[in-house]
Amino acid sequence: MKKITSKIILLLIFLFNTNSIFASGAEGTEHVLPNPFMVLPFAILLLMIATGPLFYHHFWERNYPKVSILLGSITVLYYLIWLNDTHSLLHTAHEYISFIALLSSLFVATGGILIKVDRKATPLLNVIILLFGSVIANIIGTTGASMLLIRPFIKINKDRIKPYHIIFFIFSVSNIGGALTPIGDPPLFLGFLRGIDFFWFFGHIWYVWFPTLIVLLVVFYIVDSFNKEGEKESVNFSNKIEFKGTKNLLYLLIILISVFLDPGILSWVPNFSPLPFGIREIIMFSVVILSYKTADKKILEANEFNFEPIREVAFLFVGIFASMIPALQLIAYEAKVYGQQLTPGIFYWATGILSAFLDNAPTFLNFLSASLGKYAYDVNIKTQVHEFSELYPFYLQAISIAAVFFGAMTYIGNGPNFMVKAISERSGIKMPSFFGYLIKYSVPILLPIFIILYFIVYYGKV
Amino acid sequence: MSTLNDILKNNLHGMYYGNRVLLPVRIDILKAVIENDIITDFSSTKSGASYKIHDDFTEIYFYDYKVLSEVVKGFEKIKLVVVEKGKDIFDFTNHRKIALQVKEKHKITISEINEDTLLFIE
Repeated sequence: MKKITSKIILLLIFLFNTNSIFASGAEGTEHVLPNPFMVLPFAILLLMIATGPLFYHHFWERNYPKVSILLGSITVLYYLIWLNDTHSLLHTAHEYISFIALLSSLFVATGGILIKVDRKATPLLNVIILLFGSVIANIIGTTGASMLLIRPFIKINKDRIKPYHIIFFIFSVSNIGGALTPIGDPPLFLGFLRGIDFFWFFGHIWYVWFPTLIVLLVVFYIVDSFNKEGEKESVNFSNKIEFKGTKNLLYLLIILISVFLDPGILSWVPNFSPLPFGIREIIMFSVVILSYKTADKKILEANEFNFEPIREVAFLFVGIFASMIPALQLIAYEAKVYGQQLTPGIFYWATGILSAFLDNAPTFLNFLSASLGKYAYDVNIKTQVHEFSELYPFYLQAISIAAVFFGAMTYIGNGPNFMVKAISERSGIKMPSFFGYLIKYSVPILLPIFIILYFIVYYGKV
Repeated sequence: MSTLNDILKNNLHGMYYGNRVLLPVRIDILKAVIENDIITDFSSTKSGASYKIHDDFTEIYFYDYKVLSEVVKGFEKIKLVVVEKGKDIFDFTNHRKIALQVKEKHKITISEINEDTLLFIE
C-alpha cells in the first residue's frame, strides 16, 4: 500500500511540478521552458470543451471555432514574441496538419461507402461487429473503421439502440481496437516515423490488446443481453449484407500507401521542410477533394454526409494543438528530471491520464522522449529509438497501450470519439454529456479494466 | 387541406424564413432533430422549438438557430417524427418520419424517411 501511495505521489509530482529553466524539448532542441501560467489557455479550452455542450450549448455551437482559435493564438503569440521559438510552432503545425489530413481523408473516403446489413440485432451479432471493427481499425485506422461501421451498427440496432451501444463502439472500434499497427492510431504512427518497426506494435501489444478487448466485449455482451427491446416485433430479415461505394476502397488504399510517404522512411520522397506539410499530406487532402467530388450522391445522402463533424474536430484540435505546447514541454522536462524514478507503471498512468484529456499523439511522443532520456537515448535518432524498442520494450509498450486505450476515456481523448457522437446525435440518439460519459461509462467500465491491466502487466516492474 | 400522403406523393414543398418553418399540412410533432440537437420538449417559446397547428399549415420555430440555411447544409436534413392531426397519436403505426431539406428561395422539400436510406431513430 505504501509503495502504491509513494508511486501516486511521484506520479502527481511528475504531472504537476514545473520548473522554468532551460531544457530540451521533445525534438531535442534547446529552448526556454514556457511560464507555467501559459498552460491556462489550454486548461480553459479543455474546460470549455467539457462544459460548453452541457451548460451553454448554443453559444458553444456558434462560437467554438472563435474560442479555439483565440486561445490557441495566445500561445502562438507567446511563443513568437516572448520566447522567439518558431521551431516548436512549426513542429506542432506539422503534426496538426498530418493529423487532420489523415482524419479528414479517412472521414471523407469512408463517407462515400455504404454498408447495409439486414439482420436481426442480437448481442452476439453486435459483439462480432465490434470485434470486426476493432480488427479493421488496424488497417484503415480507428477513424476509418468508426465512420464505416457506426451507421450500420446503429441501423441494425434501430429498435433497441441505447447510448451504451455507441459508447462501447467508441471504446472498442474508435480506440482500443487500433493499438496493433501504426495506422491504427496517430500516436503509434508518430512512433513508427521515429524508428519503431511497423510490426513492433503487433508483436508487443497483441497479448494485452486481445484479452482487454475480450473483457470489454464480454461486459458489453452481458449488458446487451439485458436489453429486450424490439424483440417482440415480428420483422422478416433477408440476412443480406450490401456494400456500396467500392471505388472508395481505392481511395482508402491510396491513404494507406501515402502513410509511408515520408522522407524519414523513404529517402526519395521530397522534403518540403520548413513547410509544415509533405507529399503525404498533399495526397491525403487531394483524396478529400477527389473522393467527395466523385462520390455517389445517393450514398452521401444516405450517410447524410456533411463536413461539420470533421470541421468541429479541425477547429477544436487547432486550438488544442497550439495551446497544449507549453503543457507538453513542461511535462517532457519533468519526465527527464524524474526519469530515473519512472517505472513502466508510472509511464502507463501518466501517458494514460494525459491521453484521456489531451490529444494522445503528442502525449505519446513526449513520454517516448522521456523514456528514451531515461536510458540516454535521443528521440530524434532513429537507430536509437529502434534500439530502445528492442532493448526496453516494456516502457514503449506501456506508453503505446496507455496512449491508445485511455483515448477512450473521454469524448476528447481521440478524434473519432467526437465524430461518432455527432453522427449518433444526428440519428436521433441522445448521447450523455462529457461528464455523463466519464462518470456513467468510462470510470465504472474502462477504469477497472485499466487498473487490472496495470496490476497484471506493470505493477512492481522496474 | 392536403394530407401528409398528398404532400409526399405530389412533392409539395414547405417554406422557411429565418428560423420559422411552414409546412402545408396539419401535424403534431413528437421529436425533431436539427444538427446535433434532439428536441422532444416543444413547450418553451424561448429555446429548443415550438410548433403551432393552423387551419391550413403547421408552423415550427427553431429558437436556437437564426437562419436555418446556415446550419442545415449539404446533404443534412431536419428530421421529424410526426402524427397527422386527427389520427390517433397513441398508435405507433401513425407515427411518420419525415425529413426536411432546406433549399434555395425559402423552399423546404419534404420527404418520408426510408429506413434503408436515412438513419433516424424515433
